[in-house]
Amino acid sequence: MIRNLKEVQDNNFDITRDAEEVRKLSFNDPTCLGCGICESTCPVEAITINAVAADARKRVSNKVYFSGHEKIAQNFKDEFDAQRVSIDESKCVLCGMCSGLCPVDALVLTIDGVPIKEIDAYPHYNAFSEIDDDECIYCKRCEIACPRDAIVIERVLPNRADLVTGEIEVNDEECIYCGICEELCPAEAIVVDKETGKESIEIDTDKCVYCLVCKKSCPVNAIKALCRACSYGEYDLDPANAVVTGNSIIDPDLCVYCGWCEGVCPTDAAKVKKPFEGSIEIDDEKCQACGACVDICQCNALAFPISPGPGSRMEHVVANGDFCVKCKACAKACPNGAITVTRTEVDHTPISSTTWKEALDAIKD
Amino acid sequence: MPKHIASGLKYLAAVKLKDMGKTHQEIAKELSVDRSTISHYLNGSNLSWNSIEVARTITELSPRDFMIMAFAVLDEPEKSRKIVNICRERYFEAIVEDSCIGCGLCVNACTMKAIGLESLKAHADSIRCCGCQLCEDECPTNSIKILEIEYD
Repeated sequence: MIRNLKEVQDNNFDITRDAEEVRKLSFNDPTCLGCGICESTCPVEAITINAVAADARKRVSNKVYFSGHEKIAQNFKDEFDAQRVSIDESKCVLCGMCSGLCPVDALVLTIDGVPIKEIDAYPHYNAFSEIDDDECIYCKRCEIACPRDAIVIERVLPNRADLVTGEIEVNDEECIYCGICEELCPAEAIVVDKETGKESIEIDTDKCVYCLVCKKSCPVNAIKALCRACSYGEYDLDPANAVVTGNSIIDPDLCVYCGWCEGVCPTDAAKVKKPFEGSIEIDDEKCQACGACVDICQCNALAFPISPGPGSRMEHVVANGDFCVKCKACAKACPNGAITVTRTEVDHTPISSTTWKEALDAIKD
Repeated sequence: MPKHIASGLKYLAAVKLKDMGKTHQEIAKELSVDRSTISHYLNGSNLSWNSIEVARTITELSPRDFMIMAFAVLDEPEKSRKIVNICRERYFEAIVEDSCIGCGLCVNACTMKAIGLESLKAHADSIRCCGCQLCEDECPTNSIKILEIEYD
């Protein structure tokens, strides 16, 4: 019998079986949602989910608990650092079911170096996230909203000098190098050397926006300046020079298809297709507002509502189904059974194997 | 001694192939042995009858023991597969049930290279199966059944 080899690095690990073909199952802890699909799917019961570790992770990585609840935070030691998923390599048969069913590719089985996602025989979810560069205006709303910091917007701004037009000139004979213009200039375009004997004044026309504040404030009328934007703007300025260009990148290892980017995008550039559809409901009677769900949710789909003022009665926790991926990690973490997540649709590529089909059907409610 | 037993097995294989109507040349090619050696074997010379007796005993062991012994005495796995296939007296049918998860452990376990994966399910070639049942032992979901076929 060929034994599996396990290599552990921090909270990530690889399990390898090197035989006729090389099968390697890799676990990437930062990607894991803690949904537990792998644990319930594994046909040889080799997988255990460490729910506590899942909670602790946010604290370890940010040192700040998202919910801000110190009572929860104090349950975890500072050095608490355990992986979210454990796999017993002596039981694992490297069938890849956990990898095929993992909604975020935290577990990836490769066969001879090829991820099973790219092998036709294996199923994968029909899910994607993309930002269309033709539509993107590089406003960075998605980058800021992304709960997983999976988006990077690299934007190239136009030259300021190409957006304004005007003339500015200092009469050295008149200038007394008082520095009033330097102090007032909102664009920090003026540098005045006031030292006796070394007096000088420089105006950086790349920074100057011809606002004329310097001219108006000069006590000796040494500055001659005019803004041409109103009268000659359409001749002097080329709108093509005002275009913001850039690049938008979604890190596939971090993206969980929560839909925040699509939700905040002011254009139609961000598009997300989730692997699961369904609903999330919180029973406010059962909820004790402990915040475990808020902390475990990787999608920032759960939050404590903000009170409109004293004396108002609110729900303990609110869920936003639009940004929920129906992973059920919150329902697993809730100590009071207050959360019901229902998965009605699981969108995956066709599969002929009976066992795999049954496993995929089993994650649907 | 292992070499003698190996020769004994080759002799038994040569005899079987001859009974199937193959020429000396075809047998030599099939077993990758010199044509002259095959002729010697089939004329009953250059071989100790003792080794043939031992070789015959090996073929009559349980399918798994026969396969393991054959692989032990014959140096190349490919040659061993061929001789096991020719010399065996028993025939098997491998049935893979739908509970197969496609883990590929049986593919690795099968010394006869009779099993492959297709659409996440193991497919066993009964013609190559030697009946050793190593795949049955390895299967985590008990999805493989090896049945012996009895011809009347």
